[in-house]
Amino acid sequence: MRHPVVLGMLAAIFATTIAAMGQEEPSGGQNAQQQTPNKDMTPEQRAAATRSFLGLGPEPDKAAATRGTQLYQKNCAFCHGPQARGATGPSLITSDEVLNDDHGEKLTPFLKKGRPESGMPAFGTLSPNQLKDIAEFLHLQVEDVANRGTYHVLNILVGNAAKGQAYVTAHCMSCHTTETFAHIGSTFRSPDQLQRDWIWPMRPGDSSLATTATVKTSDGATITGRVTQVSDFRITLVDSAGQTHVIDRAPGVEVEMKDPLAAHQEMIMTLTNDDMHNVTAYLATLK
Amino acid sequence: MRLASGVCAAIATAALAGVAPAVPHVSLDPNAIGKAPISDWTTFNGDYSGRRYSTLTQIGPDNVNQLAQQWVFKITGVGAQRGAPVPVIKCTPLLADGVLYITIPDHVWALDARTRNPLWHYDWVDHGGHLVGQRGVGIWKSTVYFLTPDNWLVALNANTGQELWRKNYADARKQYFSTSAPLIVKNHVIVGVGGDAMDMPGFLDSFDPATGDLQWTWWSTPRKGDPALKTWPDEATSDHGGGMTWMPGTYDPELNLLYWPTGNTNPVFAGQGRPGANLWTEAIVALDLDTGKLKWYFQVSPHDTHDFDNTTAPILFDQVVDGKPQKLLAQAARNGFFVTLDRVTGKYLVVKPYVPLDYSSGLSPQGEPIPIPDKDPTVGGSINIVNASNWPAPAYNPKTGLVYVNSVEGKAIYYLTDDSTKPSGYGGTGTSIGHSQRVLQAIDPLTGNAVWKHTYPNLNNAPTTVGPSILTTASNLLISGDDQKNVIIYSADKGQVLWHHEIGANESGGVITYMLDGKQYILFGAGDSLYAWSLSQ
Repeated sequence: MRHPVVLGMLAAIFATTIAAMGQEEPSGGQNAQQQTPNKDMTPEQRAAATRSFLGLGPEPDKAAATRGTQLYQKNCAFCHGPQARGATGPSLITSDEVLNDDHGEKLTPFLKKGRPESGMPAFGTLSPNQLKDIAEFLHLQVEDVANRGTYHVLNILVGNAAKGQAYVTAHCMSCHTTETFAHIGSTFRSPDQLQRDWIWPMRPGDSSLATTATVKTSDGATITGRVTQVSDFRITLVDSAGQTHVIDRAPGVEVEMKDPLAAHQEMIMTLTNDDMHNVTAYLATLK
Repeated sequence: MRLASGVCAAIATAALAGVAPAVPHVSLDPNAIGKAPISDWTTFNGDYSGRRYSTLTQIGPDNVNQLAQQWVFKITGVGAQRGAPVPVIKCTPLLADGVLYITIPDHVWALDARTRNPLWHYDWVDHGGHLVGQRGVGIWKSTVYFLTPDNWLVALNANTGQELWRKNYADARKQYFSTSAPLIVKNHVIVGVGGDAMDMPGFLDSFDPATGDLQWTWWSTPRKGDPALKTWPDEATSDHGGGMTWMPGTYDPELNLLYWPTGNTNPVFAGQGRPGANLWTEAIVALDLDTGKLKWYFQVSPHDTHDFDNTTAPILFDQVVDGKPQKLLAQAARNGFFVTLDRVTGKYLVVKPYVPLDYSSGLSPQGEPIPIPDKDPTVGGSINIVNASNWPAPAYNPKTGLVYVNSVEGKAIYYLTDDSTKPSGYGGTGTSIGHSQRVLQAIDPLTGNAVWKHTYPNLNNAPTTVGPSILTTASNLLISGDDQKNVIIYSADKGQVLWHHEIGANESGGVITYMLDGKQYILFGAGDSLYAWSLSQ
């Protein structure tokens, strides 16, 4: 039986990230706090943490799985499909035989005998090591499906750069200059980070993007500063001298907030997918 | 009220006689389950209607500023769980005969409601499953029912915590996992299941409360010979089509119908391998309690590709429509549409967005939102809404006639990560974009329009998975909270903030209220602690 991996430190670190992808949340992160730990993780750490969170089995042996690829395609794919997701035969992703096995100790003898009564031939001519490699290939197929910590976006540069440039010229230049976009294509590690950031820049990296507020207190004083917290009942500001003000929003207290990204928020509510793809394709050319 | 003062008198007599209050003994009359909650809270939603409405009026707008914390019970000695660094109470507590039952994944506590002292603690050692949340127990006579992360229905002696029997109903290796609270109706323990990582079909099981014998199973996707198979490319795809049943449903005793919300379709974000509406995922289904047979369905998100789990509570209530009293059902669905149905027939009265959205081109003749294909996840990314609601409970107040929901307005970019013709698992991912805002809404179920809204100011994005549930009372109170540790009480009719108090964590589970020894309590979980409030003496 593929025992769930016991709790690891990574799981705890990853908890807030992965919660964003479980039954309770839609998809990837739904807020900035949940993305932060994700960004600091290597792909391997991300995969391991998700594996632990999901209670998936042990990590597949990738080298063995690679060796098993050709063997699988030659001997098994005709019935079970190239990725073991089923063809004329059933999908093996949720097969009891696969899920009961850790590293071939049960699958190897099973494959050797086959299941002739339901039309699955014996693979007695393959060596035990070859059968084990096939088993690892199957475990990797399960991993690729079930462990969404291993997912990665594909080539998202699907837009038309010329149209993207036209969009930028028409919509962005009332606030920005060409200087804003110079070299932006080489600033990000990946095109999806570029896409996310031009639409909604990360605030912590740029204090000019902080939300500010002017608060009139009940005794008539006015305080202006960068907002670090706001609720129905309290607002916290840091003024230009670096002093923190915690103000109860009692009756008579007036708060006026200003978000420098307000125009971006407005854009997000109506941005079309084509415009998004085109602008990203254009900005990616500005190396 | 008469009942409550009677209990009060009994305690006073005991005190006069110098007798210490006895350890409570739980023996719940099955006929009392699901009735309007007064001195007990016997189901996840308090009663079977899903309204989370209390007739109690001791606490009201005039004295709410006298609320004082009576006690706190903090969970200790559990430590980090897989995926949860600290325990978080996401259950709705049950109360019967003076005993409170609370849960987190793998754990149940029985507390003496008068002293908050634990009477017993049950600790389950799981072999798999997610520990993402636990919604609470079910109760019948002197038995408590608990669902484990690895899909065991465990029956416990309500007075001792001793295990009576256990039944496994789903395979954790196939990524089925359980977080729900069983719903007890007559001689049925109704059990739902979660888990969408491996393309398994959802189902609902009914067990005998005395023996644990399986009575019936309803599958969320159709099998061979069922006409609904035409909404799937083939039977194998339907058999891997998802539709989990991970939140408790509601029940109408007169119609003997269960109303259950079904979760997202599988594969989750990659819909190209499953053209069609994909029944009965993403739906509200009406099932016969005694047979599990489908009476009608209403699919809120046909052909879902956004993990729009349709699991927010379907609330049952009656209102006059065109001069006639009508049995209705309303849901503030996770896909951003507010839905009001005739709960006898499943015919729709209202289907209307309650958050800003632009992914639907209109309604089908049956009233189902028609998705725009361009809004499906793509390789290059596709912008759509974040989940507009989730499992935190909504409420309905018969005095105002309004449905209350903590909604979230915001957008995400959804990417297709598996563009093959035969995707599997999630097949995609998403990342939020822009600011997500939580908005408390009071919606008229006959129009779908908000009568009032309260936007919670916050610099941080509103998390859609956690967040306070809602309770409303006959004294015009609406009890909920924000993401900044404030418990907030509003007037139910106008949405005016009447009272707030900052506690140690955000409210994280269901809010309940009850009379105990003549005193009305408000009880809720926040983080690792359970808080009890009532009026100060």
